[in-house]
Amino acid sequence: MFQTRCIIGAVATLAGLLKAAGALAATLVVTVQASDGQPLAGAVLTVRAVGGTGHPAPPVNAIMDQVDRAFVPDLLVISPGSTVEFPNSDSVSHQIYSFSPAKKFQLPLYRGKRYPPVRFDQVGFVTLGCNIHDSMLAYVLVTDAPYFGRTDSKGSWSVDVPRGTYKVTVWHPRMRENADLGREVPIGDTERTAVALRLAKPLQPAPLEGRHSWDAY
Amino acid sequence: MRSVSFNANIGPRALALTLLTVTAPAAHSADWIQLPQWEVDVDVRLVSSDGQKSFVNGGLGTLRFDRTQSGLRLGRARLALSEALGEVWSLRLDASAWGDDDRNPVDLTEAYLQLRPYPFAGFRFRLKAGAFYAPISLENRAAGWESPYTLSYSAINTWLGEELRTIGVEGQLDWLGTHTGHGFDLALVGGLFGWNDPAGTVIATRGFSLSDRQTTLFGRVGSSDSGPLKPIELFHEIDGRPGYYAGVEGRYFDRVVIRALHYDNRADPDAFDSAIHSSAWPTHFNSVGLRAESASGWTAIVQWLDGQTYAEPHSEDYRWPFRARFAMVSRQIRNHRLSVRYDSFTVDSESDDGDGYGAQHGHAWTAAYVFEPGTQWKVTVEWLRVTSDAPSRAIELGTRSAATENQVQLAVRFALGPLAR
Repeated sequence: MFQTRCIIGAVATLAGLLKAAGALAATLVVTVQASDGQPLAGAVLTVRAVGGTGHPAPPVNAIMDQVDRAFVPDLLVISPGSTVEFPNSDSVSHQIYSFSPAKKFQLPLYRGKRYPPVRFDQVGFVTLGCNIHDSMLAYVLVTDAPYFGRTDSKGSWSVDVPRGTYKVTVWHPRMRENADLGREVPIGDTERTAVALRLAKPLQPAPLEGRHSWDAY
Repeated sequence: MRSVSFNANIGPRALALTLLTVTAPAAHSADWIQLPQWEVDVDVRLVSSDGQKSFVNGGLGTLRFDRTQSGLRLGRARLALSEALGEVWSLRLDASAWGDDDRNPVDLTEAYLQLRPYPFAGFRFRLKAGAFYAPISLENRAAGWESPYTLSYSAINTWLGEELRTIGVEGQLDWLGTHTGHGFDLALVGGLFGWNDPAGTVIATRGFSLSDRQTTLFGRVGSSDSGPLKPIELFHEIDGRPGYYAGVEGRYFDRVVIRALHYDNRADPDAFDSAIHSSAWPTHFNSVGLRAESASGWTAIVQWLDGQTYAEPHSEDYRWPFRARFAMVSRQIRNHRLSVRYDSFTVDSESDDGDGYGAQHGHAWTAAYVFEPGTQWKVTVEWLRVTSDAPSRAIELGTRSAATENQVQLAVRFALGPLAR
């Protein structure tokens, strides 16, 4: 969560600079609903100018910890060139791996031992697992979109952008839609443009809680 | 790392012993060598039982504790060790004391080496070598092969814990669909084992029971010579022929698990071991199970087992086809869990003399409440009623063949160590 705030903060800083330069015109407010109409928290939104040549957001140094045999946070959204550090706050060892094409790596995390950060250069989805604890699952989404963020508990996220037409895309680790779910949004003279997106298919089931100590057999 | 030795006073089980004498490289040779991760559990019971003489004491009762054993009892004291040997190998040892008169006061239930290479391109391979449980039970999913739902296991899984252990190798190949954008995982598993030729002896003499008394690697079923059952030695190689099992597993996210497995110890009924006065018992079975869990805390488990064991003493033909099934429903609300299970089990006796020895027919109800105030403490109250009919009781004891046995247990369990979670 802290990292997400950092990322949003970085975007806001960038937006502030643009506003100072006189190029900024409006606030884009996106709300996301699940297929049942309930607000969807934690959905990833990316915003790109249509036909434009927006630059990716600046790279960051993020942290994904291991706490109580779970990745914390279990999703990071970062720009290419960002690094992620994987400490281990548990008293047991973990072995993190990814066989996703966007970033393949293996990292044994012995108790109390730190490893150098892992750098993510390629755009794409990276699924992480632990070779010792099968129930551990997390994602790193590497995006070259200039604006991105995650919805809050009310399913809402906002960003300040210059005038223009933008493609807003939503992604969630549990959504069943394979194709990008998005919409083109023209941002004109109004100060605030609101967009509502709703998933068509029900979400996949959330991981069960309190089962991680039962995967011994 | 110290070398651990174990003084076994029965038959050669080289593989298991090899595991117990593994010596790891010196601690300073690599920075990944650390002290073993460990767990210690102590489970103390307050028992009330009206059961017949327990099989633990050589009787034909179906409960772990009989009417002479009401009062304060040791449920289990357990020490588990897990040691990483490099990045992809690990060694696991599980030792327990059960507070009865088994051969060794503390003995191993499992001891194995595991190879866990990192998954590659959506596939994962795992190999176990040593002594361990085959992946059949959907109930015994907690550390120490315990059930998180009840104290006493179902008839099927009690039997697996009593008579079966893979002493050999097992390979498993997983396709990790949930890591590649799909909703399910698939696995193939195969095992090759020895030292399990007497498997089937217990089911053909006493039949099914419901308990949590797992047979230890160097121990035996029944610990007294007062009978009527003599202590039964299980983990021996008699005929020199390996057995095998092969199974499949499917998982829908972490919500549904389906397992099916075929087991055959391929024993030669003509082979006899005079040291333990046992022939090899050809035993084979099929097993299917399903476990489903919901986000609202409901769990349902069904398991089914159908097989046969066989013996040829003095060229006579004795067969005991057996089948058992159970259904369990459990509900968890925060750190409280309530579970109810119904078991049904049958052993037929098809012998030349037709006296029905070893036949059994019965059913059981189990209800358990579990309260876990934290990760270290667990309090369980369990009520168990087993109704069974076994002609062996009339033959051996001169009593009625039918019996209804009741057992109530209050268990308090305390766990300590980094693995205790």
